[in-house]
Amino acid sequence: MIKRIILLSNLCLFALMAVAQDYSTLINGKEKKSETISVLRPLQVSTLFGVGFSNQLDTYLSPMEYSGFQLSFLASRERMTRWADGNISFQSLLQGVFSHTKNPAHTATAWGGRLAYDAGWHYHWQLSDRLSLKAGGLVGADLGFLYIARNSNNPAQGRFGVDISASAGGKYRFKIKKLPVQINYQADLPVIGCMFSPQFGQSYYDISQGSRDHNVCFSHPGNALCFRQLLTFDLEFKRASLRFGYMGDIRQSHVNSIRMHDINHSFMIGYVRYLKVLKRNER
Amino acid sequence: MKDKLILLLVLVLGLCSCQKGETEYDDSPQANLNALWTIIDQQYCFLDYKEKELGISWADIYIKYSARLNPKMSRTQLFEVLCQMLGELKDGHVNISTSLDLGRNWSWKDDYPQNLDECLRNEYLQTDYNLASGLKYRILPDNIAYVVYESFQDAIGEGNLDDMFLSLRMCNGMILDIRNNGGGNLDNVEKLASHFTNEKVLVGYRSHKTGTGHNDFSPLEAEYISPSKGVRWQKPCIVLTNRSCYSATNTFVRDMKEMPQVIIMGDYTGGGSGLPFSSELPIGWSVRFSASPSFDAQKQQIEFGIAPDIPCSLDTEKAKQGIDSMIEEARKKINHI
Repeated sequence: MIKRIILLSNLCLFALMAVAQDYSTLINGKEKKSETISVLRPLQVSTLFGVGFSNQLDTYLSPMEYSGFQLSFLASRERMTRWADGNISFQSLLQGVFSHTKNPAHTATAWGGRLAYDAGWHYHWQLSDRLSLKAGGLVGADLGFLYIARNSNNPAQGRFGVDISASAGGKYRFKIKKLPVQINYQADLPVIGCMFSPQFGQSYYDISQGSRDHNVCFSHPGNALCFRQLLTFDLEFKRASLRFGYMGDIRQSHVNSIRMHDINHSFMIGYVRYLKVLKRNER
Repeated sequence: MKDKLILLLVLVLGLCSCQKGETEYDDSPQANLNALWTIIDQQYCFLDYKEKELGISWADIYIKYSARLNPKMSRTQLFEVLCQMLGELKDGHVNISTSLDLGRNWSWKDDYPQNLDECLRNEYLQTDYNLASGLKYRILPDNIAYVVYESFQDAIGEGNLDDMFLSLRMCNGMILDIRNNGGGNLDNVEKLASHFTNEKVLVGYRSHKTGTGHNDFSPLEAEYISPSKGVRWQKPCIVLTNRSCYSATNTFVRDMKEMPQVIIMGDYTGGGSGLPFSSELPIGWSVRFSASPSFDAQKQQIEFGIAPDIPCSLDTEKAKQGIDSMIEEARKKINHI
């Protein structure tokens, strides 16, 4: 299990380094005199903010489902690489979710938060001038919590996990009158990973005292079926695009006899900017 | 094209609507009783032990109390029935909290003599006692330190403890009076106990549930107290107890029982050796229950209390004369060591 964690951590680190390398070469269209430009690659940067509905269950804290609103953001960057004749893109996604939910009787409140980072590659098929499809994989890490103030020795549940996801999506371009419009869709499904979980009746006090009992669990769709999808519409203007759409994010697990789900449906709105990545060859 | 787009939308949104929630919300009296019964059945850590010790059957209790329900009963009536059901467990850590009342069974202390007169204790402390966080202390005329700690909820720092032990270092012994201390933070238990040993001491064991079955427990894990790096008490210490020593205080008595030069004097403690967790009912009431048990150094249950090394009780006749017979007994014992 430790080897798996190290492997996944290395993959995450590699993905982060790849992103950092990209940013260092981003000149945003301006050429420096002492450099030559050998490759021009488009970079798509989008920032979305969302508001929506959240439904949460964590039987470690309560057998009841909590529901309420959630606020979220999703920052993504996608650029084409030079691999496979320029058909492979690198994507990074940073997602943050904050939720405020209540139990069905409205006598207790839960506060939740989650930060997820995913990075990976997609292969693109340009099926026509208008339609392209993509498929690939992402490596991700997830950190979060759910807190119910009135609970005694189990007031909160911490969440941490790393996983590898299968990812697929597509784009379709068309025009409404003279306005270019693009529909984007992407779905991510974690297929393998590992996650932290306390044992069924194990308190965080016990864990803090050094107690360990299957607290790192192997996760797969059989015990942690999760799914995230994003359907957006881009209205393309001169310098940027207005992006709006729907994000569905379903996180579930059933490990150590503890059932958890965190179901979010959000309306997202934000903008997309198209930049150019230049390869810098200094003389 | 338009049709295709609509089809795509329907497919995507359909995928999401598949996953909404897992359970249907039912707030009827029977649903609440079922939920409460299931919480205890799956998560309560003393069920088999209580069934054996108290001669109860949790399955029979379900039938007994289900018969008392009717769909039109008021919330107050439902509260009463559910509290009576939980009362069968005789556990001070098992409660139902509502905005109206706290459902409880405090027979662990209510059914026994209190063995404490607070006014009398205050007379021993007088008014010019020292107060370091939650610790009240003074030196009695026969050069014995008298320390009162009323709640483990009151935070104590290493600095407080060091200063207190330093200022009492010339005393012949110490009476640590924790009568009516109903518990609190386990960190304070460990902190205080660590000043009474020079070596790492095995004080007990703990476990936790690993599943919903009555006997799904993790292997026992040893608990130790390591000596404090600060000032450590090297003289006799008598810990005064009564039935109101509960929960974290019960754990403290368990720990102190293993310390050298420490004598437990007074009545049995109240017990409460399960670390409480919380859950809730469909009606919105919070439920608290013992979730993980702890045991003494001999791996024995201490849920129903810990026996003192020297049993002793408060003499009410002497109390009328302004004498706390338990404190006096402790003074006599220290003076004869």
